[in-house]
Amino acid sequence: MVNTLPALVIIVPLLAALVVAAAGFINKRACFPIAVGALSVSFLGAAALLVRVVNTGVAIEYRFAGWAAPMGIVYVIDHLSALVLVVITAVALVNLVSSKQTIDREFKDKEGAFLSLYVLFTAGLIGMTATGDAFNLYVLLEIASLSGYALIGLGKTRAPLATLNYLFLGTIGATFYLLGVGYLYIATGSLNMADLAAILPGMQNSGIVLFAFIIMLSGLFVKMALFPVHGWLPGAYSQSSSAAAGLIAPLTTKVTVYIMVRICLNLFSVDYTFHHLNAGDILVWVAIATIVFGSLSALAQTDYKKMLTYIIIAEVGYMVGGFFLGNRMGMSGAILHIVNDAVMTLCLFMAAGIFLWKTGTEERGDLKGLFGSMPFTMAGFVLAGLSIIGVPPTCGFFSKWYLVSGGIAAGQYAFVAALIFSSLINAVLFFRLFEISYFEPFADHHHGSDKSAGHGGAGAVIREAPMAMLVPFLFVSIMLLVLGIYSGRIVTNIIHFAIPAGVI
Amino acid sequence: MKLIGKLTIFLCGTLLIVFANKFPDFGDPHSPAATHLSPYFIEHTMADTSVPNIVTSVLADYRGYDTMFETTVILAAGLACFFLLRLPEEEEKEIYFRHVPTGVTIRIEECGAAPEDSEVFQRIDSQWVPCDIIIRSTSRLLIPFIQIFALYVVAHGHHSPGGGFQGGVVLGAAVILFAISHNLRTTVAKIGEKSAAIMSAAGVFIYAGTGALCLVLGESFLNYGALAPILGTDRVMARSHGILIVEIGVALAVMSVMIWIYYNLSSAGKQDEGL
Repeated sequence: MVNTLPALVIIVPLLAALVVAAAGFINKRACFPIAVGALSVSFLGAAALLVRVVNTGVAIEYRFAGWAAPMGIVYVIDHLSALVLVVITAVALVNLVSSKQTIDREFKDKEGAFLSLYVLFTAGLIGMTATGDAFNLYVLLEIASLSGYALIGLGKTRAPLATLNYLFLGTIGATFYLLGVGYLYIATGSLNMADLAAILPGMQNSGIVLFAFIIMLSGLFVKMALFPVHGWLPGAYSQSSSAAAGLIAPLTTKVTVYIMVRICLNLFSVDYTFHHLNAGDILVWVAIATIVFGSLSALAQTDYKKMLTYIIIAEVGYMVGGFFLGNRMGMSGAILHIVNDAVMTLCLFMAAGIFLWKTGTEERGDLKGLFGSMPFTMAGFVLAGLSIIGVPPTCGFFSKWYLVSGGIAAGQYAFVAALIFSSLINAVLFFRLFEISYFEPFADHHHGSDKSAGHGGAGAVIREAPMAMLVPFLFVSIMLLVLGIYSGRIVTNIIHFAIPAGVI
Repeated sequence: MKLIGKLTIFLCGTLLIVFANKFPDFGDPHSPAATHLSPYFIEHTMADTSVPNIVTSVLADYRGYDTMFETTVILAAGLACFFLLRLPEEEEKEIYFRHVPTGVTIRIEECGAAPEDSEVFQRIDSQWVPCDIIIRSTSRLLIPFIQIFALYVVAHGHHSPGGGFQGGVVLGAAVILFAISHNLRTTVAKIGEKSAAIMSAAGVFIYAGTGALCLVLGESFLNYGALAPILGTDRVMARSHGILIVEIGVALAVMSVMIWIYYNLSSAGKQDEGL
């Protein structure tokens, strides 16, 4: 049973997506339970894998169709991929559970198609994370991208245009990656990552390999929205529906960062990336530019969700910069931040979903008085805000701590300065939101589902979000604290083993 | 901004050309691509899978897992088109019918009873197209042969170029030809959107389900050898048969998705009736 887990983690969601797609035309009520069930199974499988990998310390290999590595396709679950798998499945599951009502309301007759695409997207990300084959990664990237475009495409009025932009840039990114895989195949004749890693050290001076490295990374940078190829992200994420944004915004960029880490560490090797090419210095500067740009742009937004999208861009800069510092501290921080940022972003987008559900807008000004009417939601929101700023003991503090220490150890003081600058900007952003929602008088106009709200005087009447939304949201915000408290253990037990021993 | 764009394109193009110069010669027998894995496939395919067409065996067996997801990509495209384009049912205020023998067009208001399934009355709406007898008859003549050829392509993938994707596209094209030469309403009456959608999912399900069956039988996912007891053959022939089963699944999925996408694109999501 345990040996088939790497397959089950992805096959169960895949089969469920097919069943849900058909069930959407037969019995709409069956769709939601099937989707939740499949993602739960997947989550439990991923958790079991993580436990097993941590306990045994050995990577689990799964051979599809029974063929050994270079001939067939294998999945390799090691510390890094098991950790990211747990994050992906957990985020997808929690977001799905919390958005039942929004899905019912927004996609009445198309619920089956939405849920099917939702589960397919998750399956794509799971596969991208678990795979040990460079081409298989591209196929799953296609699945995740295509279903992602569809999920984002049906949102607010400008969503189709924003999605079209995303589609063009995303396709360019994916094609660049594929081109890189093609170049590698020409140079080596292999597609398996472990096999490639064994061949490549012998051909470090090959121009084809160099170009493959450049173009694969460029493609991934487009996909993760690194400055200056970030243009698609703010529109695509801010225009989408809450249910889709809550899935895609926390996961897409993070999984792409994970792939970058995987390619640099396990495919091209640390030696090639950091010593032979010395790619670190330039890319840290790109990351610094991303952080500064993302933070400053976030400051300029009045739309709450749009502000979040620029914060995501800045956070991508954290992870890319931290990773390319090239030391153990920086890499640990980057990988820990993949986990933390996924949870933080999920929390913030869930909050955005609740605000939209209750107030009907995403304008900053319309948060007025929400502390009075929704104390529990706002408590969770404050936690998320503090975590993004990086206040202990929330998880955001710890990954930032590792990143800053890594920056100092590497002598990249500009990166440290950018991190602190971005934290200060985040503090400004979130305390402004807290101020609006805590101190400003209760707004009179309410055009959400709850028409009677807003006439309770000084906001003394508690009108919380529906339980189905509130409970998962509070769970996620408490997870921010839990992750923060246990971040030391995550680093020593999991991330420590994910980074090759040669990195100091 | 435009200048930056052009410069970027120029730079990328130059890099591509410069690095393409370093490639091994086309068809070079000593290039890594020809010496690393290819010899294994060329030497072992027949013994491993009993499929003479090496491409088919690599596609559907050695790397069958990739192909399963390629099929899923096609399903995702169908789902995406449906999800983004399909419109909910609109209340129709009035319906137009044409009395074919006389050419008189009549309008029926809300409460009026519409003539149903009548030979002499023809419904006229935005999807109605005048039928040309020559085109209609020619297509009717062609479609069965196209379909038989498609089935041949599917079934003969083991020995010649072909397989599920190609056969499925040809099958889908036959139905689309019918829709073009007649009209959408007639086609939807024959293959409804619901059946197209369910068949799309079912096609991929045949593929993934075959894999899952191997898993249930105690072997790794998509290891068709596990099907040997069910198919009543040895493990090598079971692989060959397994490939045929998944090719049929691929063909079903591709055909139905083509039809489904055509329905949604050609009617801008309206189709005949709403969801």
